[in-house]
Amino acid sequence: MPAKRHAASTTSAPAPVTPATLSSGPSTLKTNASAAAIAQHVWEQYLATTPQRTLLLDAFMAFLVLVGGLQFLYCVLAGNYPFNAFLSGFSAAVGQFVLTASLRMQTSDSGSGSSSKPSSKGKNARFADDNEDQGSGTSHERAFADYIFGSLILHFFCINFIN
Amino acid sequence: MRWCLALLLCCFLAAVNALSSSGSRLLVVLDESTEKSAYSTLWSDLEGRGYDVSFESPKSDKLSLFQHGERAYDHLLILPPKSKGLGPNLTPKNILEFLNKDGNILLALSGKASTSSAVSSLLLEIDIHLSNDRSAVVVDHFNYDTVSAAEKHDVLLLQRPGPLRPDVKAFFDGEGVLALPRVAPQTLGSDSALVAPILRAPATAYAYNPKEEMPAAEDIEATGSQLNVVSAMQARNSARFTVLGSVEALEDEWFSASVKAPGGKKTPTVNREFAKQLTAWTFKETGVLKVEKIEHHLATEGEVAAEDLNPKIYRIKNETVFNIEVSEYSYDKWVPFEVPGEDELQLEFTMLSPFHRLALEPTSRTETSTVYSAQFVTPDQHGIFSFRVNYKRPFFTNVEEKHEVTVRHFAHDEYPRSWAISAGWVWIAGLWSVIGGFLAFVLVWLYSAPAADKVKKTQ
Repeated sequence: MPAKRHAASTTSAPAPVTPATLSSGPSTLKTNASAAAIAQHVWEQYLATTPQRTLLLDAFMAFLVLVGGLQFLYCVLAGNYPFNAFLSGFSAAVGQFVLTASLRMQTSDSGSGSSSKPSSKGKNARFADDNEDQGSGTSHERAFADYIFGSLILHFFCINFIN
Repeated sequence: MRWCLALLLCCFLAAVNALSSSGSRLLVVLDESTEKSAYSTLWSDLEGRGYDVSFESPKSDKLSLFQHGERAYDHLLILPPKSKGLGPNLTPKNILEFLNKDGNILLALSGKASTSSAVSSLLLEIDIHLSNDRSAVVVDHFNYDTVSAAEKHDVLLLQRPGPLRPDVKAFFDGEGVLALPRVAPQTLGSDSALVAPILRAPATAYAYNPKEEMPAAEDIEATGSQLNVVSAMQARNSARFTVLGSVEALEDEWFSASVKAPGGKKTPTVNREFAKQLTAWTFKETGVLKVEKIEHHLATEGEVAAEDLNPKIYRIKNETVFNIEVSEYSYDKWVPFEVPGEDELQLEFTMLSPFHRLALEPTSRTETSTVYSAQFVTPDQHGIFSFRVNYKRPFFTNVEEKHEVTVRHFAHDEYPRSWAISAGWVWIAGLWSVIGGFLAFVLVWLYSAPAADKVKKTQ
């Protein structure tokens, strides 16, 4: 899953990379660089350019993927006997992941959108982003409050369901 | 006062029914009163056992099996009439109706005269067949009485029968030799579970009409132990019908006779004891089962409170105990019922088809009954179930019990909690680590929020 995250960031990374060479980022990539070098470059770019909260979000999502994967693996290996326990444990991880992903969309996109050139990138990329950028857009505080509210409901249901 | 009267009435009834478990009014149908004296020992034996014996001729106008639509007698003993048929009051239809109303019948045949077609058609109704040649008698050249039938070989000497099958009680067992003169043989229909042989002819016997010159070898229907000397039919309502092939065996003469088998010693017959066993079984003095009490409840330690007995509803996977108390009538009293041989009394827990079929084990015994019990877990299926005991064996009255109960599913708070199941601990840990991770994330997020804001502002 983290690899996918990298892949996702590679698509968005090149756009800011070309104009951001003069910023504090690492040296620009040569045209015939090896795959490992590209990966390392991307990773360094990611660490350097991602805000700290987004990094935190990514770390938490990686943790959720790990917890969910372990639970699923245990279910496959040891059987699903208290099936409600499996459902609620696994769906807590998945649901938390979904909620965290939406929080990431609401916070990091608007952040990057407002920081870099809004019009050119927004229009070319996605319609939803465009909407968020131009519209009032949810504030980070509002997004975080929604996130906590949603998570509490999720936890309430999961704890009830696990009996 | 009324209570006292009821008790008195009960005592009277008990006194009246001191012998047979189903009444003491016995009607004997016989031709002439001269014939009556030939069986005087039988009559006195029956009266000594408490029967209220009345005699009627088949031709009599007064003879009626029913009065005001009810049975006028409890038992019927029919001796073979001299004339053709049993008369207008004892048609096969009447006799079968008597049987349907729980009356018991002992029908004696004789090989001396040919059996009437009325009797033959009556027996056909209950799947007992007489030979086509209605005056045939059973002859055996190895088991005959050398004293009285040295020439004709038509007085059979037989042992009293043992159990019919390993799972059937022997009601006609005992020592000694039976003398059965001039037996009219019967064969039983193979597809009826209600008929059973009481006494079979020996393997060396065959049926033969002494009036014919030459035995017709081509139309032999049955030989040897296919021929029955005494056979019985117990209807689904447990009314009994017994056919005795040789009426002469009941005569005083044969009760006290001494017989001698070829190459044997001279011994007295046991016809009198056999007649007692036969009439006692037919008139329900033996082989009568009664279910005294049925209890079922949840399996618990110690005594079960009265309000917990026979609940109407159980839950799936409940540990359940079923008790049934069974008595057997033996001549003049109720005794504990013992399942004969390898047989077992079975309990079925059914909804359309049995989900459980269990052997009931004897657990305790009272003075008059045995308590059979089984313990089982109700199946994982909710619905309307019934406890059933269905015990139908030859010579025993039928036991058919059905008690309906509801089996419900688990209530939502009756499942085990998840932490009680160790297999679920991983998922519980997973859930709580997600929640713990969430809390830690929120704390770090709030802590790091200003820095993120600053980044935003600088940009």
